[in-house]
Amino acid sequence: MNIFLYLDENTWFHRLDPRTKIIGVLLLFGLPLAFNDPRYVGAVALGLVALGAAAKALPNFWRMRYLLLLLVLFSSVLWPFFAKGPTPLWSWGPLEVSRESLLFGIAMGLRLASFVAAGLIFLSTTTNEEFTQGLIRLRLPYPVAFAFSTALRLVPTFAGAGATIVQAQVSRGLDLESGNVFQRGRKFIPLAVPLFIYAVRHTNLLAMALESRGFSPLAQRTWYVQLRMRRDDYIALAVLATLFVAAVALRLAGYGAVLPRL
Amino acid sequence: MTAVLTMWKNTRMIILVAVCAAIYAAALIAFKTAIPLIPGITEVRVANIFPMVFSLLFGPAAAWGTAIGNLIGDIFGGTLGLGSIFGFVGNFLLGYLPYAMWTTLKPLANGERAITFAGWRFPVLYAVLAFVSSAACGVVIAMWLQVLGLVPYQVLSTIITVNDTVASLIGVLLLLAVYGVVQKQLRLLWWEVMDPADIGQPIAGTVGAWLVVVGAVAGWILGAYLFTGQALIIGIVATVIILVGSALL
Repeated sequence: MNIFLYLDENTWFHRLDPRTKIIGVLLLFGLPLAFNDPRYVGAVALGLVALGAAAKALPNFWRMRYLLLLLVLFSSVLWPFFAKGPTPLWSWGPLEVSRESLLFGIAMGLRLASFVAAGLIFLSTTTNEEFTQGLIRLRLPYPVAFAFSTALRLVPTFAGAGATIVQAQVSRGLDLESGNVFQRGRKFIPLAVPLFIYAVRHTNLLAMALESRGFSPLAQRTWYVQLRMRRDDYIALAVLATLFVAAVALRLAGYGAVLPRL
Repeated sequence: MTAVLTMWKNTRMIILVAVCAAIYAAALIAFKTAIPLIPGITEVRVANIFPMVFSLLFGPAAAWGTAIGNLIGDIFGGTLGLGSIFGFVGNFLLGYLPYAMWTTLKPLANGERAITFAGWRFPVLYAVLAFVSSAACGVVIAMWLQVLGLVPYQVLSTIITVNDTVASLIGVLLLLAVYGVVQKQLRLLWWEVMDPADIGQPIAGTVGAWLVVVGAVAGWILGAYLFTGQALIIGIVATVIILVGSALL
């Protein structure tokens, strides 16, 4: 099973500097946040699908299709009971749904799906190494970035070890398919103990290997990969910043909200 | 709180951050789609048996490891978004509070970092900290997601609190199984790995611990059940109290 979302393509998005992509995705998160009218958030969501197509990230959208659909459905059902609007549609005891709260619910579902879509575009076009390098160049302290990148590399190893442990325990008779949530939770212990010991044993070996090579968390470092912001990076950031400012300006001018106070 | 910052000078602690993050993320990814509670936001988190165990064994490395692990879980699970910011903070607290309050929540705590399994103190303190750290995590994350307009505070604070408390309580079985190995064979208990000078002392440990208890419990119960109309304000105030209390530990 491939747990990575990165898609090895050669699009304009893939070639952008990781710093541009990190700042860019934060600006993209801001767009659906500016509105709570489903027409406006829907337009942002469609724009993100178009961006996804341009970045050749649609295979990951398809991979996450059930999640994206569930996000919209769940929010659309849940929110109308918590947000209050002036035009009642239906009520039963303390429960009340208004036209505005229903639209608000749909907008929140689209907002959540838009966040996931923006994140998917980022993850589809950025390798883990680029992501880490970008964070370091954005002044994340090196020891933190080192721990982050080491964890990213260890996840597939531990996931593989976990799968082997599951097979071993199932072959010894552990039944993972039956029981309620609590019983299943307890059955996780025979899997967690060997995984934990296997993983933690790595710690001393890895620390010795690093120290024997002169690793020092606080030392000044130089980099093999040299990141450089190009003209395309500045264009991308300028376009996204303009869109973000325009979205905020629209909202402040009274557009894009079915419930203005939310 | 000092140890949370000074631990980055220690290579073993940095590796422990990575290992904790990787185990937590691997378990989160494995069970991400198993039983979703709020799609894209949270699920039945079997992986949450780990943070409290990590915390009592690896201290500050567990706090960072749990936070980074949750972020990686979001990255691999495809749910990276603005919610991940306070997911990071909430999970940091889930890994930070148990070890920091283990010695400071007096009179329940006796001030000893080493765990003595015999007697009444261990089960009581463990259960209280499982609940308080879960509620603190729930309040902080639910407040932020309500600010973003993603999920109502009342719903999410309850789901996270109950979910994490149950998982942390199940995690005691893991702790019982691995404590001796980590202490005697691997010698990786955090206060033995770190230089004593780097560990430091709490600013006002007992005050901080009780502030966290009040913020977490009141924030959850008042916001989710008693004053639901003011849930967001209660969530914000409770989050501030929890963060101030945490800083004092």
